[in-house]
Amino acid sequence: MASVASKLYSDDVSLLVLLLDTNPFFWSTTSITFSQFLSHVLAFLNAVMGLNQLNQVVVIATGYSSCDYIYDSSSTSSNHGTGNGMPALFSSLLEKLEDFVTKDEELSKEKNVSKDRVASSLLSGSLSMALCYIQRVFRSGHLHPQPRILCLQGSQDGPEQYVAVMNSIFSAQRLMVPIDSCYIGTQNSAFLQQASYITGGVHHKPQQLDGLFQYLTTIFATDLHSRGFVQLPKPVGVDFRASCFCHKKTIDMGYICSVCLSIFCEHHKKCTTCGSVFGQSKLDDVSSVSDKKRKSPDT
Amino acid sequence: MASGQVEKRVKYKSSLKDPGTPGFLRIREAMLFFVPTDPKSDSKLKVLTQNIKSQKYTKEASNKPPWLNMTNKQGRSYIFEFENYADMQTCRDFITKALAKCEEEPTKPAVSTSSEQLNIADLEMRFKLLRENSELQRLHKQFVESKVLTEDEFWATRKKLIGKDSIRKSKQQVGLKSMMVSGIKPSTDGRTNRVTFNLTPEIIFQIFAEKPAVRQAFINYVPSKMTEKDFWTKYFRAEYLYSTKNTAVAAAEAAEDEELAVFLKPDEILAREARQKIRRVDPTLDMEADQGDDYTHLMDHGIQRDGTMDVIEPQNDQFKRSLLQDLNRHAAVVLEGRSIDVDSEDTRIVAEALTRVKQVNKADGDTTKEANQERWERMSRVAGMEDLQAPQNFPLAPLSIKDPRDYFESQQGNVLNVPRGAGALKRNVHEAYGLLKESILEIRATGLCVPLIKPDVSFDVFRSLTQTISTAKNIIGKNPRESFLDRLPKSTKDEVLHHWASIQELLRHFWSSYPITTTYLHIKVGKLKDAMSNTYSQLEAMKESVQSDLRHQVSLLVRPMQQALDAAFQHYEADLQRRKAKSGGGERPNGYV
Amino acid sequence: MPQVRIIAKNFMDMVASLPAIKLDKLYNNVFICEAILRSLPPLAKKYVLQMLYITDPVPATMMEEWVLADGASKHRVAIDRLIQLRIFSEISDRKKGTSYNLNPTFQNNLQKHIISGGVLPREPMNSDNAIKLPSLQELETYALKQWECFLLQLINSGHGEKLTGISSSMMKIFQRGLMSQRDRDGPRLTESGFQFLLMDTNSQLWYIIREYISNAEERDVDPADLISFLLELSFHVTGEAYNLNTLTDVQRNTLKDLADLGLVKLQQGRKDSWFIPTKLATNLSVSLADSSVRKEGFVVMETNFRMYAYSTSKLQCEILRLFARIEYQLPNLIACAITKESLYNAFDNGITSDQIITFLQQNSHPRCADRVPSIPENVTDQIRLWEADLKRIEMTQAHFYDEFPSKDVFEAACDFAREWGGLLWEDSKRMRLVVKSEIHNQMREFLHTQSK
Repeated sequence: MASVASKLYSDDVSLLVLLLDTNPFFWSTTSITFSQFLSHVLAFLNAVMGLNQLNQVVVIATGYSSCDYIYDSSSTSSNHGTGNGMPALFSSLLEKLEDFVTKDEELSKEKNVSKDRVASSLLSGSLSMALCYIQRVFRSGHLHPQPRILCLQGSQDGPEQYVAVMNSIFSAQRLMVPIDSCYIGTQNSAFLQQASYITGGVHHKPQQLDGLFQYLTTIFATDLHSRGFVQLPKPVGVDFRASCFCHKKTIDMGYICSVCLSIFCEHHKKCTTCGSVFGQSKLDDVSSVSDKKRKSPDT
Repeated sequence: MASGQVEKRVKYKSSLKDPGTPGFLRIREAMLFFVPTDPKSDSKLKVLTQNIKSQKYTKEASNKPPWLNMTNKQGRSYIFEFENYADMQTCRDFITKALAKCEEEPTKPAVSTSSEQLNIADLEMRFKLLRENSELQRLHKQFVESKVLTEDEFWATRKKLIGKDSIRKSKQQVGLKSMMVSGIKPSTDGRTNRVTFNLTPEIIFQIFAEKPAVRQAFINYVPSKMTEKDFWTKYFRAEYLYSTKNTAVAAAEAAEDEELAVFLKPDEILAREARQKIRRVDPTLDMEADQGDDYTHLMDHGIQRDGTMDVIEPQNDQFKRSLLQDLNRHAAVVLEGRSIDVDSEDTRIVAEALTRVKQVNKADGDTTKEANQERWERMSRVAGMEDLQAPQNFPLAPLSIKDPRDYFESQQGNVLNVPRGAGALKRNVHEAYGLLKESILEIRATGLCVPLIKPDVSFDVFRSLTQTISTAKNIIGKNPRESFLDRLPKSTKDEVLHHWASIQELLRHFWSSYPITTTYLHIKVGKLKDAMSNTYSQLEAMKESVQSDLRHQVSLLVRPMQQALDAAFQHYEADLQRRKAKSGGGERPNGYV
Repeated sequence: MPQVRIIAKNFMDMVASLPAIKLDKLYNNVFICEAILRSLPPLAKKYVLQMLYITDPVPATMMEEWVLADGASKHRVAIDRLIQLRIFSEISDRKKGTSYNLNPTFQNNLQKHIISGGVLPREPMNSDNAIKLPSLQELETYALKQWECFLLQLINSGHGEKLTGISSSMMKIFQRGLMSQRDRDGPRLTESGFQFLLMDTNSQLWYIIREYISNAEERDVDPADLISFLLELSFHVTGEAYNLNTLTDVQRNTLKDLADLGLVKLQQGRKDSWFIPTKLATNLSVSLADSSVRKEGFVVMETNFRMYAYSTSKLQCEILRLFARIEYQLPNLIACAITKESLYNAFDNGITSDQIITFLQQNSHPRCADRVPSIPENVTDQIRLWEADLKRIEMTQAHFYDEFPSKDVFEAACDFAREWGGLLWEDSKRMRLVVKSEIHNQMREFLHTQSK
């Protein structure tokens, strides 16, 4: 006898929002080409779709100066091949991706910001878009798949996005949407580590990029229901460093405004964010006095 | 001082009436002890000299025994009865000197706060905490007794522990029993008509609290008109009359004896209070509020004391009280709790203190004019219409985030100017995008690369991932609830835990000492560093000593501790270097920056 | 408890029970591999996916490393299922222990599917074709209507006009187990028949399909072919028309039967014939028990035990009649009442109170479904109580012993009976006891030895 139908789908129906890093500056430095990378990712997406008829996949491209939805399985009606022997998923995704890259290039030229920015992608933007999408799914009705976000990031963190990224992470935490992250770059991403740590997702840094598909299927294809029974790799430590608001540097130790919690790497007389006037710390007195003392013999 | 201590045989009295506990009084410069001869007695006493405010003593000429009465700053007094006047004087002089010394003391700069200066309650609290928490005790023993930390430093980080306990302690006050006074049943001996009531200070207090009229009468009559004993006899006579419900007799006796009548009449003071209370009820709050709300003073309301509804002659009405009245009154008093802090045996003192308290309480409501005025104000405040009123200015400064965008994308302008790869980037923009598009085109044209992944690579990856999982599992234990620690032998586990706790303690002190601004801190950091390197070597030794099959796990456990210590050492060295570099040639007098 | 509980949920059990050669043949079809993958338990899906490109055998110990303590049982179920379906083959080695290999055909096909997707062997209709296709809405109504007709015919085949094209012999097959064929008073619903009617559409569909497949050999059709065709069907797109010309004869015949069940709609063009899969067909491979296409409920239950069913369907009326008294019928409304008699009737037919309550809950009107609980509590309680009333007395065959010669013998007898688990009652004062009749013989023997 079938039990009373619940308001949710059965356990393993999932909505996967994939954030795809399309930063050209990153992809021009990697050991595997973007097309190889795409092969793995597309195969992974198709596999996820194949696990359950009701599974849903959304792909958001994280560009250098913009981000956009490039695939949504719920709006792509036909499931099967449109010529070329390629599934509809691939062809429509690739088509959109190409458009996106073209647009992104134009935007980058217009703004011409490249010279004073680290070559980071707009992670904050795509995270927000993913959360908006999930929020819409939540509100659309009572029958929805379990959402999760997967960041496939290669480029380094943009410290100037610190606040925006953190805010997205906290909203994801509130929505109880785990952010999985797979970092394929050479450094380490503090953002992604924190995102996965805070939201209860999985963070992993693959060692062999030619085996990316294996990492994706073994770790990141695990639906939320199964995560209750399966041990997934846990990072040994999490990089909790923050960026300062004044110079966008990543810092270990800094000053925090006691009113608005803005972070600064050096002492200010006044908070640049909320305008609170800081008192003089004793420590500061001593050091300034000593500085004077030290300087006086020199002059 | 030649004789640092005086010891005399005395009797300690907690109050004037107390027969006293025999024992020894030992007086030192800083403290005063009383040790009872009977080891079971709990009247052991410890008073810090500096807490003594004043001392009184009986004159030799008077016929009283040689008493020394000391009052401490909290108003509590200690009375000691000496065997002879000579002893008393010795002690008195000693204490006077000690007191004088104490007076001087505060004028000296408080360089080091010695534990003796702490008040006794704090000390006791610390001992209690140490006793209860063996972990804490171990730490205390390790660091304080080996002089790595001073007593104060140790406790400074645990203010919360002390604070929490002390609040709990001070707020607690013994309340009143909820048994009613009328529940005190007299005991009778079967033969005569004698009725005996047993009075204790507690009962007296309760009677006074519940019956202001009796209290007032006591103040008026005792001892000027009658003795205390007579007073209570009369009171209970009246109570007895009530309980017999013989209103006629009550009326008759009241007519004869005016003092007795006081007890029998309805309590005028209470009635007045009730009226005042009703007046204070905000009419806007309860428009029906009237005297009817306070049932206590409405006659023939409620059941009689024992439920019988006997016919009452109207003229004797006033000699009856209802059970409800008594209950209400009693409940009010119990809820109010012990409002005075007088711990005296003297009935009169109690009575007066209660009266004082009541008067203070009423003072605001007493003058009707003021009360009326206040009521009007309150009403207008409550009934006032917001939009007709001038804006109220609260003394606050709004948080001014001038532009909310500041918070989110603050100051794009001064984004960092690190030239990291900037030039290379610019040159590459077009190229990079071109490469990307090429890749996309390639995959669109030829499809996914086949084979996607080589089987051996796939297997390798899976194997390495499994490896990470299994090592992680070994640390956490197979079962998340059963930690690896439980698999260690007990002694090793305890040792690990203890090291962990002590390292935490040390690191906390270590990091909080930075930046070093005083010599004191400098010395402290040095001490801490030595202690830490000590612990470090102990950790190493422990790692060596552990069984080989567990060694790997233990070293995994120990590694974070050692890393934390390493970081501290590194910081210490770096700071030292910097300091040396800064101070350069000349040694400055106050050289710690 | 009725032993004939209908298990309609698991189609895959049937697949698993196929002989190995047939299974391997099935895995030659990409779509079947995909459908099988979808039907697996979540953990099993993960295992298949992570071994998709691994050709070496993976040791069982390696797989177990990933499993948390809570998941041990799930892990076992997943592995068992995979072995059952021959997706995993177990290799036991004395040195290395057990390890698993993915079925190479299955692996290859799934790899192919993931990389290039599958192409259906059917020819979809070109968009420039003149034939007007039914809208999705129309198609759904069609499917439901067809299905209902079928059900109606199923339950009153004896005295009903022929509504569908299903042959009566075929109908007989479906009725097996659901209806009792007695000559005198015509076919009657059996317990499982009643249970069948109260199930949701998806479960009913599975039951019928299962019967259809198990009967295939009698019609000279290979069940494996049938299964593969049905599974393939579920990968077609709802509402699109596909040409019949690529089908074999067997498949065409099957398709006709399926059209009668409402799984597909057949459409005749000028030159070609087309079939249009409905939602019922495309949902076939969904492994979920509760289908995502639940139809809207129609029953309003009131606290006074009256029930209003907004339905024009004759079938619904018949179903309600199973446990309620129909009072009157309006064009779009059936008013009925649940009474003790009507329920006793239902209980006699082997319907349980839980089934009735579940049916009411699943079919409650949208206005009521929003309420919690959707069925008034006093009604559900009463239904359960009435059922419990029938179960107050339990009959057990027993034997009564008395006049024991001594207390010792009596107690020994009691102990003996207790050991055999047959002691029902004892009265030590008057030395009497009652024992289940199953152990009467043993008891007698025992007493015999005692008396000697």
